[in-house]
Amino acid sequence: MTEEESFFAGKVALVTGSSRGIGRSIALAFARAGSDVVINHSKAGGASERKAQEVCREIESLGRKALVVLADIGQKSSVRDMVGAVSTWRGRLDFLVLNAAKAPFRPIEKLLEREMRQLIETNFMGNIFCIQQALPFLEAAGGKIVFISSLGSRFYNPSYPLGSMKAAMETVVRDCAESFAARNISVNGICGGVVKTDSFKILRQNMEELDQIPDELAVSEDAIAEVAVFLCSPGARGICGQTIVVDNGLSNRLYRPAWAGKQKSRKGVDS
Amino acid sequence: MKQNLIPEQRVLEEVRKAISEGIDINPAIVTPESSLMKDLGAESLDFLDINYRLEQTFGIKMARRTVLDHMEELFGEESAIDSDGKLTEKAAKVLSMRYDGAEYEVKAGMDMDDLPAMVTVSSMADGVMNLLDTLPEKCANCEAQNWVLQEETRIRCGSCGEAATFTSGDDLMQVWLKQVQESKKIF
Repeated sequence: MTEEESFFAGKVALVTGSSRGIGRSIALAFARAGSDVVINHSKAGGASERKAQEVCREIESLGRKALVVLADIGQKSSVRDMVGAVSTWRGRLDFLVLNAAKAPFRPIEKLLEREMRQLIETNFMGNIFCIQQALPFLEAAGGKIVFISSLGSRFYNPSYPLGSMKAAMETVVRDCAESFAARNISVNGICGGVVKTDSFKILRQNMEELDQIPDELAVSEDAIAEVAVFLCSPGARGICGQTIVVDNGLSNRLYRPAWAGKQKSRKGVDS
Repeated sequence: MKQNLIPEQRVLEEVRKAISEGIDINPAIVTPESSLMKDLGAESLDFLDINYRLEQTFGIKMARRTVLDHMEELFGEESAIDSDGKLTEKAAKVLSMRYDGAEYEVKAGMDMDDLPAMVTVSSMADGVMNLLDTLPEKCANCEAQNWVLQEETRIRCGSCGEAATFTSGDDLMQVWLKQVQESKKIF
């Protein structure tokens, strides 16, 4: 067993919204690292339920245990039941990864009241419900919290009101990091760039030029997932209250149109 | 112009394939009458995935916004949905025309979130056919009237090789809504 495996072995990670996309990759990364994983999805009977079961089987095939829990994190009672199920299952929770998100793709001025409420309930309150319910377990375990943010928290994206919730949560990360430090709970975030899967398909709805972002400036789900695991590892002990940008350098290139015309690739070869 | 290079059956097959791959289900259960949401369990992200696959397959641009969004843009705020997200009488009238023959009836007061359940495999295939039928008479690059089919689903100019450009789903929706308004004066 490697040093990493012995640290993660027997520990439990709960990844919200992990039936697909980045959440799925994070769930699998924790399993590869050695942990047992709780997979969460929010809709019964749909594609995400089936996909959550597939993630469960993949984790089990890695020799780890997995539990699928249906819970809408925007509902406090639902979160309480989810954490209760984790407690019954393993009696512990070491890593809480706040990945679930749900939002309409409309300009802020056109949001209906109920869309605004849902935006805040799922993407702000829902994450805080998870933190509140998980806190006693994380405290007992010297646990870690990782929030998955996106570049929408700091750069303009048309019709992407989720960005404002991501920005609010990055503040929560800083706040909780400080207030939970005495309880030996670390809190950090990851600001993911453009992943050419689900998030890409969403963003291109309102951002045509996204199609032109070269592949080298897109980031893989696994690259984000591995940083999530790292932030929960002993090697990250000096990182506190940070939201780390994992975007393959996309935001670093924003001073010039990174995807305009031909340019030198990173390796110095004409692309 | 109405294109006749890609037969309707082929379009339907490609739509079935995009749906079964997008939702990751057995293609055998994807029938023309299946509702993507009610019968196949598709969720909002799945629609985006399926649209993306269809765009890549046919070189078209599916609608980015809903017909309700377009109604509000053309005919004013709250013309299509009220502040509670319910369909207005006028929107229900327009949508009844759009979903004529569908299994579910569109009624005023219906929740806007229930509309995607009306999308079936065949209605999606019809949507793709409508976009393909906006094939221009001539190639925009060389003006030749010589469209040919490549890789079974991509229409190109047989003279210069330029890919055909079709009207986008959003533009086509607006054209249709303007025509409806012109003839029925609903709004």
